[in-house]
Amino acid sequence: MQLEKFTYDNKIVRNFGIATIVWGIIGMTVGLLAAMQLFKPAMNLGNQYTTFGRIRPLHTNAVVFAFVGNAIFMGVYYSLQRLLKARMFSDALSKIHFWGWQLIILSAVITLPLGYTTSHEYAELEWPIDIAITIIWVVFGVNMFGTIFKRRERHLYVAIWFYIATFVTIAVLHIVNSFELPISFMKSYYVYAGVQDALVQWWYGHNAVAFFLTTPYLGMMYYFLPKMANRPVYSYKLSILHFWSLIFIYIWAGPHHLLYTSLPGWAQSLGVAFSIMLIAPSWGGMINGLLTLRGAWDKVREDVTLKFMVVALTAYGMATFEGPLLSLKQINGVAHFTDWIVAHVHVGALGWNGFLTFGIMYWLIPRIYKTELYSEKLAGFHFWIGTLGILFYAVPMYWAGFTQGLMWKEFTPEGLLKYPNFLATTLQIIPMHILRSIGGALYLTGVIVMAYNLSKTMLSAKLVANEPAEAMPLTKIIVDSAPGDKAWHRVLERKPIKFMVFSLIIILIGGMVEMMPTFTIQSNVPTIASVKPYSALELQGRDLYIREGCVNCHTQTVRPFRSETERYGEYSKAGEFVYDHPFLWGSKRTGPDLHRIGGKYGDTWHFNHLVDPTSMSPGSIMPPYPWLIEQKLDIATTASKIRAMQTLGVPYPEGYDKIANDDLKIQAEGIALDLKQNNIKVKSDREIVAIIAYLQRLGTDIKANKEPIPSNQ
Amino acid sequence: MFNQIKDLAGGEIYLITSLLMFMVFFLIVGIYLLKLNKKHIEFMRELPIQENKIEEHEED
Repeated sequence: MQLEKFTYDNKIVRNFGIATIVWGIIGMTVGLLAAMQLFKPAMNLGNQYTTFGRIRPLHTNAVVFAFVGNAIFMGVYYSLQRLLKARMFSDALSKIHFWGWQLIILSAVITLPLGYTTSHEYAELEWPIDIAITIIWVVFGVNMFGTIFKRRERHLYVAIWFYIATFVTIAVLHIVNSFELPISFMKSYYVYAGVQDALVQWWYGHNAVAFFLTTPYLGMMYYFLPKMANRPVYSYKLSILHFWSLIFIYIWAGPHHLLYTSLPGWAQSLGVAFSIMLIAPSWGGMINGLLTLRGAWDKVREDVTLKFMVVALTAYGMATFEGPLLSLKQINGVAHFTDWIVAHVHVGALGWNGFLTFGIMYWLIPRIYKTELYSEKLAGFHFWIGTLGILFYAVPMYWAGFTQGLMWKEFTPEGLLKYPNFLATTLQIIPMHILRSIGGALYLTGVIVMAYNLSKTMLSAKLVANEPAEAMPLTKIIVDSAPGDKAWHRVLERKPIKFMVFSLIIILIGGMVEMMPTFTIQSNVPTIASVKPYSALELQGRDLYIREGCVNCHTQTVRPFRSETERYGEYSKAGEFVYDHPFLWGSKRTGPDLHRIGGKYGDTWHFNHLVDPTSMSPGSIMPPYPWLIEQKLDIATTASKIRAMQTLGVPYPEGYDKIANDDLKIQAEGIALDLKQNNIKVKSDREIVAIIAYLQRLGTDIKANKEPIPSNQ
Repeated sequence: MFNQIKDLAGGEIYLITSLLMFMVFFLIVGIYLLKLNKKHIEFMRELPIQENKIEEHEED
């Protein structure tokens, strides 16, 4: 048979690498800004485009989809070509993938500060961008499978299974969590409401962590770690076992983000049980990685890339040990909504994703330039300042989380809340937030040093854009396997499409078992007769609440603890959220829960508080929202919003869309009059009036309820 | 400690079926692993570090 000569495309790898560095610096800088806003409200920069509520999603999207996303594509495009002994299927598709992905990120950078957001965490981008993501993801898939089909290596190495599982699962997650009904170019409503919307979102949110931040990185670990250490993976059998267990179990664990909420009790328990099981396959991966280095620890002392890999694997091990612990209800009751969770995700993000990316870049960039790294010393400096950064970030955040979680629950001997004023618990942890931002700054400094080091490396040599390689072509197998051959995995390793379909089935099982009963069985979401749809003005106010990103700091779900019912009022019931497209339960309490805020204070209090939070709550770290007085409420959208809600099953009377604005004006004038009687002059057509109307409605319907509400727990 | 998993007020069926499904799946993967050919495993392990070797492919 004739040896075939071909080339590897290194240019696309380099381009994704540069994008990783650039977006990494931008995303982390925005993160640092957001961190400083939490102890110095002036850092909100006094305008509506840079408040914490809009900047925080920009940070998460930039680091997850821009930094980590580009790093994934860099690692996949490098390793896939070499493991398959083939150039990428199509250079044109590679380019479309690269530029399409950068354009999507750019559109996020523009639209998120403008307030265009769906409010689903890590899925904030509006529907036109969702469609673009789908198209580019398919381009990536076609390019990957095209390469797999023209491969010169029959068997697919374990790294490629992880890439295939990533591709197929992210596609499913993105599509299911993007079922939105558009009402205008940049505004849509989720088709799901309340409890169901929450279940879909956290099924997505949790598995975005699993299949965007974990599986592709495990795939890269299985390729790059053996390359760096120049020894094969410790146990290939373990890699098979932990791959299938990981993708099977991960998908069930989403409900652990919703413990003690009004999600049906059985779904919460399923989430807990599978989260605890998850520790086994996660540690399987970590142990397999660390044991690959057995007998090579002397290399770790000298080789900076291996140092990064070891810390990355250790951080992965810590985060995946902590995750199951956090899903135990007793621990979750204290940790959830606090900085503990922020610490947890950053151990994963900074340690696992960040350090693995850096390790790979220091190894890969000199290779595709056929040169040496510009400075080993600077890389060593990066390693130490990065590690210090992680410690300075995580330790204060854990401290802050324990402190605040316990303060929320503390009672006096007389049985009263020891800290009835929420703000007291926020102010207590300000020093920890200052320390955390120092940690973030250290970590960012390391990344900037890496950018300098790698730029110097790239400038010192010429990119080997097309790296020559040669391999024997594959012969066609006429009969796949001998009769009685039981090694189905060997068949799967040769049949990528079968492999993909099998992975798809495995990941669909968990989602379906959790979602189908929640959507179809009425007793899972018991209705409450007194809960009515929002008025037109409240609906508009709710959309402003979404635009301003209030959900980033305020939850809307009171848990059934005495410490919460004392502080906020009655705990939240599933039936209260049936008209909430989308749900706005939130995941973090930087400020207090707002589900029972309606009627708690007067309109005047809300007006003053929104314009200058410190006037009502001295020391508050909430940014002021003066533009809500200046900006007129856009009521041209009311009719289409009402119609969209009707389509989604919200029982507004027929034809209400035509008269909704009349109702809206009457309600707005009522609020403006009330404010006027308290010496506040504001026109009734301003945005602030709508947002006050919404806040005053929150959680009040249940008060008119006379019937017993069946429990779904 | 396990009350949250034991006491499900009617939801047990979902949990038990799910755990059973996983057990069956895990057993299948386990049995398969035990039956795997050792030579094949060695070949797969070596794939990334042997990628520059130009050899005939593993026969099935």
